[in-house]
Amino acid sequence: MVVPPADSSDETLAARAAAGDDHAFEEIVARYERRVFRLACRLTSETDAPDVLQNTFLQVYRHLPSFRGESLFATWLYRIATNAALMLRRGRTRKPSEPLDAFLPRFDEHGVHADLPAQLLVASRADELLDRQVLAEKARAGIARLPDVYRDAFVLRDLEEMSTTDVAQVLGVEPATVRQRVHRARLMLRGYLSDLVGVKR
Amino acid sequence: MEYLEGVLTPEVNAALEAHVAACERCSAFIASYRETPRILRTATVVELPAAIQQSLRAFLRRLQR
Repeated sequence: MVVPPADSSDETLAARAAAGDDHAFEEIVARYERRVFRLACRLTSETDAPDVLQNTFLQVYRHLPSFRGESLFATWLYRIATNAALMLRRGRTRKPSEPLDAFLPRFDEHGVHADLPAQLLVASRADELLDRQVLAEKARAGIARLPDVYRDAFVLRDLEEMSTTDVAQVLGVEPATVRQRVHRARLMLRGYLSDLVGVKR
Repeated sequence: MEYLEGVLTPEVNAALEAHVAACERCSAFIASYRETPRILRTATVVELPAAIQQSLRAFLRRLQR
């Protein structure tokens, strides 16, 4: 069997894989397994990510024949991965965690930020001010504590860098809703990280 | 978000930019706010462990028989 050259486009590989070329399918897996794993960790947890990974590529394998190129292959695959993650999460009972609402910024009676510039800047210097390991741990913890709808929009838009339009399609909401949810997620996470650095609120 | 994504109407966008230019707190906030995605993205990069990669391969090989 002919092995596809390393620079075949995703769409070419998809067509070959759909026609029964197992090497082409393996190449697709090799190209996307790391990204899918990272997405799964961000949307669920490192414990659940392996299952999401398997479910994703199982679905990809099954549905390859129906990929018609209406979107980029990567977008199509990401949609499958996201759905696999959300399905798995839905099946888990979430232990109630303290919501991050307490970390939203305050405004004074004139609608001006009540936080001092120094406090605002802390969030953007979190990577300098916190040990890398601690930041990684706290970032994961903070993201896991976001309300689900905020987390999903935020992970896809800001961490996976999908376009607002694509995120809206994957999540089945309006782009304006995506922007609003991403915004609130950012505010909550910034407040949470600032708090960790010990900035008085 | 609308401002950063460039989807505000020109009038609103202009008014907002004028305010930000004059307001130190808001400038600081926007500069800081823009960094948020990058910081959290970098902080949540994870590597795919070899063991999990191998499990995936084994799982998918069973499919292909």
